[in-house]
Amino acid sequence: MTIHQIGGRPKVRYLLLHAYGRGGTIRTVMNQANSLVQAGWQVELVSALRRRDDLQFPLDPRVKVTTVVDQREEAHTPPSGPLGRWQDWRRGRLTERPARHIPCGEFGYRYFNRYVEQRLIAYLSSLRDGVLVTTRPALNFLAAEHATGGVVRVAQEHMNHGTHKQDVRQRIRETYARFDAVAVLTERDREEYEQLLPGTRVVRIPNAVHSLDQVPSDHRSKIAVAAGRLFPQKGFDLLIPAWAKLVETYPDWQLRIYGSGEKKAELRELIEEHHLYNHVFLMGHTDRLDDELAKASFYVLSSRFEGLPMVMIEAMSHSLPVVSFDCPTGPSDVLTHGVDGLLVAPEDPDALADAMAKLMGDRALRADMGVAAVLTAASYGPDAVHPRWEALFRELHEVRELHDLHDLSDQRHRAAGASKGQRA
Amino acid sequence: MKPHAEIAEVWPRDGRVRLVGHIHGHPAEGQWRLLLTRRSHAEQRLDYPAQVKGDRFEGELPVADLAAATGTAEAEIGTGALVGVGAGVEEWDIHLTDGEVELRAGRRLDDIHGKKKIMVFPEQRVRGIGVRPYYTVKDNLSLECRTGAST
Repeated sequence: MTIHQIGGRPKVRYLLLHAYGRGGTIRTVMNQANSLVQAGWQVELVSALRRRDDLQFPLDPRVKVTTVVDQREEAHTPPSGPLGRWQDWRRGRLTERPARHIPCGEFGYRYFNRYVEQRLIAYLSSLRDGVLVTTRPALNFLAAEHATGGVVRVAQEHMNHGTHKQDVRQRIRETYARFDAVAVLTERDREEYEQLLPGTRVVRIPNAVHSLDQVPSDHRSKIAVAAGRLFPQKGFDLLIPAWAKLVETYPDWQLRIYGSGEKKAELRELIEEHHLYNHVFLMGHTDRLDDELAKASFYVLSSRFEGLPMVMIEAMSHSLPVVSFDCPTGPSDVLTHGVDGLLVAPEDPDALADAMAKLMGDRALRADMGVAAVLTAASYGPDAVHPRWEALFRELHEVRELHDLHDLSDQRHRAAGASKGQRA
Repeated sequence: MKPHAEIAEVWPRDGRVRLVGHIHGHPAEGQWRLLLTRRSHAEQRLDYPAQVKGDRFEGELPVADLAAATGTAEAEIGTGALVGVGAGVEEWDIHLTDGEVELRAGRRLDDIHGKKKIMVFPEQRVRGIGVRPYYTVKDNLSLECRTGAST
């Protein structure tokens, strides 16, 4: 190693559970990858699993995408020869065995087995240089123990710490200190992780929205929007009863809930039970959420918990004020109550209804809060956020190189001293 | 856009289906009625008074009439399509008429595409027949009458 290499740009690899999926983490990581590659970095997305042919979010073609375990049916070629058949049999055996390094409480536990683990461990052990960013607890645990060949390691946490099960928290305490940096989304999480991991570098870098150049709402429509997967975390089962309290006073308002998911039938039943079929609509998945947000007058977040709710911030970039439960974590990090939105007691439909009524009844208030919302969203724009990743990666890389140089010169000193000693 | 009866609200409850909307693209004077036409037997029709004020209309139909008409017609025609062979579906299209024009009921003036899957209404059951209003793929409003197990 020579001194002029110091300060160069390391290659950055992101390890995702499923780069071909549609979740918030995947979307966010792709935004980061796009920004880095546009700034001249070499970036690779590594998908632990592959279960689909196509990526679900736009990705710059300069970002390389690779897969560790391809689980598509057509990817499995029938074995030939005794060795092939033996490997295939062994793969089958390992696939049936449960994961050993991933605690059961990890929400992604069901995607792991011994075969996936072994392939990931082999991949992680092979890394010698650059920066590795792992994006969920299961992958973080594997990287902490096995990516020990010289790569700079960054653990990303996309959920808040309080959301993790006990066994996951235990592994976090045991392994995260081995990372060069642990990156979290919110201030509250940064404090928690710092307490948990004394001496470990914990940074707060929020996720970025994909763009700030958005069509603003004019706050005239009588449409409120919520969005997210239709499952319990998002609390749409609290939002629907809240809307039922308002429908008589505000009969010409609509609530549009975007997203798909396993609780659709239950939510539909709830809509029917409250006779809201003329007012609350399950819109399904849309590829044009930006356009839908621009047509609305405010955004509602009814989640029981969050990491950092990105669609909410996207809504704010369209000048939409927000009504939100003050759930852990995210809403209170982003919103200032009474300025760009209204924060209400978590899981309290009455409080949510009161806050929504306040916005429904006052267009001027929606417009004022909407302007403040755009200003708030600005600090989550790609230009505000992505340079922070660049700075972090550059700095960690420099520290590593200086450290390696020191090691090298120490070795030379020791070697020189030893030979002198021999002569003397 | 062709004149039509733009639907704002559909209320399938208490044994009735109540419709609220406005007449679009056609003078609203005169006496109007809700007209139901059985799609597979266009000569079979049911009609009910509608109240019109300005261009706003409101009207309702009892679900039992549809169930009876669907069942009776089957018995008369004797196709057996609705009896003995599991679930059968009969569709009735909704119009608003002043005796001269027939305006199709539908929801075409808003920005929501694919209403068939988004604006979904509950079924009401009478004498083993389930009646449910629904939007067609063209965003027109129709009623489906279904025998057999509730889905």
